Amino acid sequence: MEWDWDFVWQIMPTLLQGFKITILATILGAAVALVIGLVFAVLRMTAPRPIARVTGFIVEFIRGTPLLVQLYFLFFVLPDIGIRLPALVAGVIGLGIHYGTYISEVYRGGIENVPRGQWEAAKATNLTTRQAWIHVILPQAIPPMIPALANYIIAMFKETPLLSAITVLELMNQAKSIANSNYRYIEPMTLVGVFFLVISLISVFFLRKLEARYSRVDER
Amino acid sequence: MKMRHYLTMAASVAVLAASWTAPAAADENKLEELKEQGFARIAIANEPPFTAVGADGKVSGAAPDVAREIFKRLGVEDVAASISEYGAMIPGLQAGRHDAITAGLFMKPERCAAVAYSEPILCDAEAFALKKGNPLGLTSYKDIADNPDATIGAPGGGTEEKLALEAGVPRDRVIVVPDGQSGIKMLQDGRIDVYSLPVLSINDLLAKAQDPNLEVVAPVIGAPVYCDGAAFKKGDESLRDAFDVELAKMKESGEFAKIIEPYGFSAAAAMSTSREKLCAPQ
Repeated sequence: MEWDWDFVWQIMPTLLQGFKITILATILGAAVALVIGLVFAVLRMTAPRPIARVTGFIVEFIRGTPLLVQLYFLFFVLPDIGIRLPALVAGVIGLGIHYGTYISEVYRGGIENVPRGQWEAAKATNLTTRQAWIHVILPQAIPPMIPALANYIIAMFKETPLLSAITVLELMNQAKSIANSNYRYIEPMTLVGVFFLVISLISVFFLRKLEARYSRVDER
Repeated sequence: MKMRHYLTMAASVAVLAASWTAPAAADENKLEELKEQGFARIAIANEPPFTAVGADGKVSGAAPDVAREIFKRLGVEDVAASISEYGAMIPGLQAGRHDAITAGLFMKPERCAAVAYSEPILCDAEAFALKKGNPLGLTSYKDIADNPDATIGAPGGGTEEKLALEAGVPRDRVIVVPDGQSGIKMLQDGRIDVYSLPVLSINDLLAKAQDPNLEVVAPVIGAPVYCDGAAFKKGDESLRDAFDVELAKMKESGEFAKIIEPYGFSAAAAMSTSREKLCAPQ
């Protein structure tokens, strides 16, 4: 079996179409994850005890079950109770919630790392809770989180092929359908790998920059 | 001590590599090889009545039953089946993961070019499962292509997916469905308008689903009757020919009909056509 460049150019447009969906799913999934993660983190840290406990349980539950199972649940089981999500929406929600639980721990770590004294100082200078969050705590908590958040988003990007299991026509699914009708796996699967690698390498480059920039925050 | 350890490791790697490359050279003796091994590896789907895997893991269905019998007559004691997607079967065969495909993989010219088929075994027409009353009035793949709202579900790499794409249904309206159960579920949930499989498969699924809101359109207009055969790797023609001889004998003696007719297949249909006819480009 040898490499066939003609075949590569022939399948490229189809793969690019799938790649667009992969990128779209990643961006939307990341947005959902960042918001959901914040909600989980804040509920766990500031809500009354029973609610915090329940949130903690939900987070552990989602973290402890496989993403693929959750996707099947969203796609095949929810319609039984009348919720029919389109495949891509189900996929984005699945990715978003799953990674949201990881990301909530990043938020929690970042916020808890702000010394208690900062809270006390904010109180002492008569800032409201809201003002303390916005002007004192979050500006100190967020920068160290950024590299970890970016890391999770890159990891999520690499998990998007799981969406092919719930019929989302993303990169992996397009490659499979090409292989199905041409009986060749070598070019489509290699290209899938290359697409992911290129984006991952670019992301890692920017991630390094982010790390370099925000690790100096203490010295400023 | 350490050195010796490395040497042992290098030696075992070399042995492994040798045992890897050995089968490639032995195409002519494929049958002997299978006899010695005691079983043939076959690729199946899980699509009754073509191929079925029971809750206890027992493999049945018309295609594996015929293959098991013929391999037995050839002196190969048993078959070991692995479930595969339709689209992955031919690449898997080419990669040497299976010795034969016995899964209701219908003969089409482009598949005939990729594998060595036996003579026809199981024949069936195509069918649609859809919502009761056929609200979109779909009776052919062309109808689906012409209706911009209609979506069709089919197994990935299966004949139905190809027929839909050939009829001009755009890729984003041909949904690849992983298995029969999810196909019916997606139809019930309204994710797809049509689920297409061969007639006997659709009937089997609907009989199990027992859903009064679904109905069958069969046969699909404009889609001919297709037949499958056992598919062998190109280069294993001698094994294929031996398989064909036994198949012909069984067709002659009526044992062939005895195996496939309880599953609902027509032996007469398979006997009235040939690989040559089915593989000829239309």
